[in-house]
Amino acid sequence: MTAWVLIVDDEEMIRDNLKAYLEDEGWRVAAFAAVAPALGWLRQGGSCQVCIMDMRLPDMDGNTAIRILNHLYPGMEFLIHTGSSSYSLPEDLRALGLNEGRIYQKPLNDMAPLAAAVRMLAAMRETRP
Amino acid sequence: MAVLVAIGALSLAGVVVTPSLAVAAPLSDRTPDRQIGDEPPANPIYRKPDTMEAVLRYATWILVPLAVIAVAALLWSSLLRRQVAQRTRQLQRELNERRQVEMALRESEARFRDVTEAASDWIWEMDENLRFTYLSERFYALTGIAPRYVLGRARWELAAGELTTDPEKWRRHRQLLEQRQPFRDFVYQTRLSDSHREGRYLKVSGKPIHDARGQFGGYRGTGTDITEQVEAEKALHESELRLRRIIDLVPHMIFAKDRYGHFLLANHATATAYGMTIEALTNHSHRLIHRTDAEVERMLVDDLEVIESGVSKLIAEEAFTDHTGHTRTMQTIKIPFIEPGLNETAVLGVSIDITEQKHAKEEVARMRLYLRNIIDSMPSILIGVDPWGYITVLNQPAEEVSGLSWETAQGRFFGDVFPQLENQFEQVRQAIHLGRPIKTPRMTFDVHGELHYADVMVYPLMAESASGAVIRMDDVTARVRIESMMVQTEKMLSVGGLAAGMAHEINNPLGVILQGSQNVLRRIDPDMPQNREAAASLGADLNQINRYLAERGILHFLEGIREAGSRAAKIVTDMLSFSRRSESRFSLVDLEDMLETVLRLAASDYDLKKKYDFKRIAIERDYDASLRVVYCDKTEIEQVILNLLKNAAQAMAEDGTPSPAILLRTRREPDAVLIEVIDNGPGMDQKTLNRVFEPFFTTKEVGAGTGLGLSVSYFIVTEQHNGRLSATSKPGQGACFSIRLPSSREALP
Repeated sequence: MTAWVLIVDDEEMIRDNLKAYLEDEGWRVAAFAAVAPALGWLRQGGSCQVCIMDMRLPDMDGNTAIRILNHLYPGMEFLIHTGSSSYSLPEDLRALGLNEGRIYQKPLNDMAPLAAAVRMLAAMRETRP
Repeated sequence: MAVLVAIGALSLAGVVVTPSLAVAAPLSDRTPDRQIGDEPPANPIYRKPDTMEAVLRYATWILVPLAVIAVAALLWSSLLRRQVAQRTRQLQRELNERRQVEMALRESEARFRDVTEAASDWIWEMDENLRFTYLSERFYALTGIAPRYVLGRARWELAAGELTTDPEKWRRHRQLLEQRQPFRDFVYQTRLSDSHREGRYLKVSGKPIHDARGQFGGYRGTGTDITEQVEAEKALHESELRLRRIIDLVPHMIFAKDRYGHFLLANHATATAYGMTIEALTNHSHRLIHRTDAEVERMLVDDLEVIESGVSKLIAEEAFTDHTGHTRTMQTIKIPFIEPGLNETAVLGVSIDITEQKHAKEEVARMRLYLRNIIDSMPSILIGVDPWGYITVLNQPAEEVSGLSWETAQGRFFGDVFPQLENQFEQVRQAIHLGRPIKTPRMTFDVHGELHYADVMVYPLMAESASGAVIRMDDVTARVRIESMMVQTEKMLSVGGLAAGMAHEINNPLGVILQGSQNVLRRIDPDMPQNREAAASLGADLNQINRYLAERGILHFLEGIREAGSRAAKIVTDMLSFSRRSESRFSLVDLEDMLETVLRLAASDYDLKKKYDFKRIAIERDYDASLRVVYCDKTEIEQVILNLLKNAAQAMAEDGTPSPAILLRTRREPDAVLIEVIDNGPGMDQKTLNRVFEPFFTTKEVGAGTGLGLSVSYFIVTEQHNGRLSATSKPGQGACFSIRLPSSREALP
């Protein structure tokens, strides 16, 4: 069964490009422009192992979204995809196991490393008891 | 008969004696009462014992033969009448003889008168009551006091003034006279209320007169007017006093000493210097008075030299310690002179205290040296010139720059000595003319082919005595460079700030471009199964489509979009580097490891590998073995070094350098760690070198670089690491970029 990847990004073409690339890589992708519709999708039975989160979102900031999602769905892994050059990881997120390796600076010249990270995290979820 | 003879003798004697008395009369004609007195004939004899006796003797001699002749004539008159004629002749003969005697008497008397009249003394007499009874004629002639003011008075009545000023003198004199003692050389000053000639000084001597019975009859004596003498003495004394006052008023030491060092003369200043009175000092030995032996010996040697040689000597400067122990500097002239009353040569000295002048002189010299030190200590080049531009003063930096000493440069035209300042002559003229400084900021000049900047200021000299100007030149090359660097840094910071603000907005569209073009290229790839499936479901031949896309250059355009997007993204990233970073990423980094990492990165870098043929470049390593770690942001410094390697490689590739080589060198400096990247490429000219760290400055063709690489590196090293990045190069001689990172953590931001 193909796993789901959740993408939250307010830039439509970024969303579509990531979705297209990951779908080509064989993933099922749910992409939303804001956090609320993503939560709606999850509540309605949506499930995913990896979430690619933008930081600047219309309804809340990415950090808060990660905190909420982590609280509701503790198994979910996160990758951060941001256009802000000055982004630094808050300590509490670091405590959740996030590090600089999870941060992908826009623009991505090549999406392959991101896709590789998604694959690696998903595999990690699989092996975890 | 005998009676008759006696009468005749007497009468004859009376007749004959009368003329002889008349001869003496002029001597006593001022005292006629005397002649009728008790002892008429004795008086002349007494007055002038020698002449009187002679007269008396003559008279006696004459009387006796006359009496004999008279008696004989009486006896024989009647008897010898016949013989009368004969006798008459005889008498006439006798008369002739008498006349001759009388003449002799008159001559004697005249001699006596001449003597008294010519004498500078007069003769006086006073009676037993001590009142003047007689004054010889000379009295009036000598004193100018008429005798009538004197006669009948006592001596003390003539000296009313002295009687009150010196009563003791007169008391003694009066006592002496009352005791009838003789006296000699009694001097007094007359004061006669009724005489206009008063204030005469008279010197008198006298002895008491006693008659034959020993009865006191008054005084007789001589007097002389010594007024002129007394006044001359007085004047001399006054003149002496005046001279004395003058030498005492002179503030310099005036003294005279004999060859043995005894003071013959000393003025007030001299006595004061020795803390003594003039009297105490005079006739004292210099050796005993002067406290400092070395000084006194030296002075006595000088004295003796002057006395022996008879030539004056000027001692320009000598130490003199006065009685208070205060040492002064004196200038002394010693002159040989012969002290009146001494036959030996003595020395006359005048000593002037020049302590103040000497101090002033020393102060001037000290001040001159001090000012010289000040101008020499100034880092600026200072050139003093006269209104015509001729050098008057150079300070040490000016001497160093010109290679000429002050003395050699003096009087030469400043433009000849300092060619770089030649064009400042107009400013010198203007500054003097307008009386205000004229500034030429950032004047450029050439030092061994290197461009230097100098601030030149021309100050007019305003002192009354000196007109001219001072040219001050400060080499501000370093400052100008730092300033331009700072300006650049500021520019970069604002670029960084701007980039940070807009990065997010730009990165999203760039992401769309890059990711979109990646997806496009991926989805037309005939090798991808999904693509083939999708094409097949539409009945299209993916290979044909792909050939078409290639044929029409669409793939090339897509690659172009992708590359342009990536370049834009790189510019944004570079610009973001200009914003300040926190120190959080700093750590101790092994320097050799880091350099090796960079070399590996360079070897795998696409541009270096494909475009600049990095493999061809010989990499040399010259690492300082004593250097291990450096505290820095590893990724940033890696980026800097990689950048420098890229620059070098690119420059050498473009130039076609025959055997390109890059030397990586590390060195420990006192405060820094030095990392150098040295190539043997084409190098740079000064113009390029000056701008090499400027943002967006590039020598590369458009599209070859962002123009930010070196300025980013500069920023990372200087702003983020507080280090220094510098470049040295000359055309055709390669380039050397030096990174200096502070070796202490405190120096970091």
